[in-house]
Amino acid sequence: MILVVAEQRDGKLNRASWEAVAAAQKLSTLAGGAAITVAVAGGSVGAAAAELSAADVAGVLTVEDPALEPYTADGFVAAFARLVAERKPTYVLVPHTYLARDFVPKLAATLDAPLVADVVGVVDAGGAPAFTRLIFQGKLAADVVPEGPGPYLVTIQAGAFSADSAARGASPAPVSAFAAGVDATSIRQRPEAPFREAKQAVDLSQAARIVAVGRGIRAQDKLPLAQELAKALGAEVAASRPICDAGWLPLERQVGSSGQTVAPKLYLALGISGAIQHAVGMKGAKTIVAINKDAEAPIFELADYGIVGDLFDIVPALVKELQR
Amino acid sequence: MVSALILALCIAAFGGLFVAQVATRLRLVRRAPGRLETGDGAARSARFLREVVFQSKVIAEKPLVGLAHAFVFWGFVAFAGYSAAQFLAGLRIVDVTHTAAFAFYARALVPFALAVLVGIVGLVVRRVAVRPEALGPLSWESVLIGAFIATLMITFLREVFRLDEGLAASVNWWIHALVLLVFLALIPNSKHFHLVLSPVTVFLKSPTLGDVRNLDFEREEVGLETVAHLEKKQVLDAFTCVECGRCQMNCPAYATGKRLNPKSLILQNEVALLAGKLDSKLVEQYDAGVLWQCTTCGACEQQCPVGVEHLPLVIGARRGMVSNGEAPAALGAMYNHLERRGNIWGLTSDVRQKFVASAGLETFDASRHEYLMWLGCAGSYDADFQKALRSLFSILRAGGVTFGVLARERCTGDAAKRTGNEYLFQELATANIADFEAAGVTQILTACPHCLKTIGDDYRKFGFSVEVQHTAVFLSNLLETHGAGRPPAATAEGRADRATVTLHDPCYLSRYAGHVNEPRALLGRVGAVVREPERLGRNPFCCGAGGGLLFEEREEGTRISQRRFEQLQATGAGTIVTACPFCAIMLKGAQASANAATEVVDLMTFVDGRMPSASARAPLSGAQAPGEQPGP
Repeated sequence: MILVVAEQRDGKLNRASWEAVAAAQKLSTLAGGAAITVAVAGGSVGAAAAELSAADVAGVLTVEDPALEPYTADGFVAAFARLVAERKPTYVLVPHTYLARDFVPKLAATLDAPLVADVVGVVDAGGAPAFTRLIFQGKLAADVVPEGPGPYLVTIQAGAFSADSAARGASPAPVSAFAAGVDATSIRQRPEAPFREAKQAVDLSQAARIVAVGRGIRAQDKLPLAQELAKALGAEVAASRPICDAGWLPLERQVGSSGQTVAPKLYLALGISGAIQHAVGMKGAKTIVAINKDAEAPIFELADYGIVGDLFDIVPALVKELQR
Repeated sequence: MVSALILALCIAAFGGLFVAQVATRLRLVRRAPGRLETGDGAARSARFLREVVFQSKVIAEKPLVGLAHAFVFWGFVAFAGYSAAQFLAGLRIVDVTHTAAFAFYARALVPFALAVLVGIVGLVVRRVAVRPEALGPLSWESVLIGAFIATLMITFLREVFRLDEGLAASVNWWIHALVLLVFLALIPNSKHFHLVLSPVTVFLKSPTLGDVRNLDFEREEVGLETVAHLEKKQVLDAFTCVECGRCQMNCPAYATGKRLNPKSLILQNEVALLAGKLDSKLVEQYDAGVLWQCTTCGACEQQCPVGVEHLPLVIGARRGMVSNGEAPAALGAMYNHLERRGNIWGLTSDVRQKFVASAGLETFDASRHEYLMWLGCAGSYDADFQKALRSLFSILRAGGVTFGVLARERCTGDAAKRTGNEYLFQELATANIADFEAAGVTQILTACPHCLKTIGDDYRKFGFSVEVQHTAVFLSNLLETHGAGRPPAATAEGRADRATVTLHDPCYLSRYAGHVNEPRALLGRVGAVVREPERLGRNPFCCGAGGGLLFEEREEGTRISQRRFEQLQATGAGTIVTACPFCAIMLKGAQASANAATEVVDLMTFVDGRMPSASARAPLSGAQAPGEQPGP
């Protein structure tokens, strides 16, 4: 049997749970069509269980207990240790979320079971399923076959399997309850209310195209020129340190060693000299186009395409061409 | 006989107080880990002579105040025999005070007494009326001790010139004796303990600036975590500090409104040690975050007149933090870059390969190349600094110098060493040393002053010693040998303009390595007029990049680089020349942020641009490089 541990918060299912279901379905085909059971734990998980019952699985278990709300590692380990002991799954798949990172190692230690963490794929290794994980900072991939008596704990890296690819069943899977009987007094952690750090309004790291401005823009009132080009390209506007120092653009748009590190498909550098402190923030860009008056500017050492000239002539022409 | 007994009791009481307080401090020194180094006795003795006997560090920065202090110091030394004789006489042990020789000695002391009197009055007036920032809040204890010293001199003069008769003379004698004894008892718990300790600490100070010993991982050393980890010399430093504030007033962090004050670190050590807080965390003795505001420019340690070594303390305490994972996030990223890619910026080695190929550099081969050209992180990855290197290579090739580069380089580990990641530093250092040895390298040239310090000083601690020169020094000697680069009027281009520039001395080139003259000689050789900024030569104002601060661009207060740029700009020279890639990065950043017209140029680029053109330089290429046989 394959047990999938789904994750919910405030009754809302974490989408990574579907990815774990998809991984379990793949694993099932490699493990002789083992049945899949999805368990979801918390204080009240009815809605999440109902959503999960759409999946092509043998059944859904609700593990409800007042001691499981809010989440604690002690509570979850107690509940799932009992579930695993009673139902004896061969594999336990958990999405590799912050929650999993917190309690799965303890669960593995409690069960004295092997744990394959942050898995990106499931493959056939000569009859037995193997789990692929990246090692040496992502330079190599290892196929891991857990040994010894089960259960084998596996956490699935976010995004490694497509949630949409999880097969849905013809009819809803049966939902049943599992009484975990967690002893509330055994829980040592007292969690505080979850909080989220103020998110940066602009996340340049996700931008596919970036128009970056440097000192060559000369004055704040010339910035609309860059903004227009960005609009025409569907790009975000970024800047080098002097521009943000001067307060012409907010700090969150700064690229470089003390700003954001970006990896767009296209990085258009307008009037940027290419000082190393800026360059290290854009080293991941696929294509770098530089426009600078100074043919000696170091940016041309980095650029794939370089235009030596006045950006005040070139940018309007570019915008015009893009708008045609 | 009664008076002798009373005097003996006074000596026992006050002397006892003195001894007890000294003993407390000596116990703290004795239980501290580490060793007191005394190697290279010649350099240490020379420093002792300069700094203790001739008071060079005291006088250099503040000549008038320093001279006043020197008078007081020399006076004290001169008085030692007089006081000893007077006490022996008072105790009725032996009385030489009536001999002709003693009278002569006493007369000879008169000019000293007058000098001390003038000196101490000047110093007290400065302390009370001028109230310099360096001295902090007014210390009444210091004023009292000033009054004591003045009293000693006045009572001495009255004695020598026999201004008092009978009882008055006796009272005068007793005032002198008692003041001296009370002063003695006050010494250990005041900044005046430097009278006793500073000759020792000056001698024990390492002849090398910023001498931070390697951690021994076999003995599970992790750096300075608690007050108990402070090493012997650091405990002595805490007690010898004279609180003059030279470190504070020369500190670029303090000058730009940051919380770091090097003087406070030393005094906070003293407080913690005397309070017996040996098991407290060291960083908790300091203001939060100050340890990460240090650029390791070395100004504090260099200017200290009593031999305090701040750098081993700052770096040692950083090590204690790094080993607990408490380094700032910006440094964490840099460590990751060093571990994964072997350079501070985490760039891939193909960037370096591209430069090596395009600059026509050959892989070092000891049979064909005299010098190994060490590129360093900046030379390998900073496109801007690579322009300076191209200029350098062109001059070297014209001078017939043969050099090659290693096929592969790692960072020397400077940034890891200075920020307290000792383990990473030692990994990089041992790997680089193995490469040097495998390639048979005996002479290294580098354009980076930080690489110069790391390879030249820090690598010696691994038993690896090699001749390493900064290229500004090498070039200066090379051009002097060739007589190349005559005054511009005489160059092929007939250039008559005498460019006015200012020179920013990189800390790791001038303060650490002492190379003040060579960059200036080079500038003079190509016809530049140097307008000197404030803070130059052996005591420059840092650019703000050192000690890992290159990676933390957001600073409390004013940016150090901005302050330095303003100082350089104030010379009125349109061009700022420097000879360190990190200084260039910081000053160019400041220049761009200030949107100033002043340009920042590397020394190599500047020199190359003003040398006779390539064709006119041709004769140079056939010439013999220093120490090199003509090639085939």
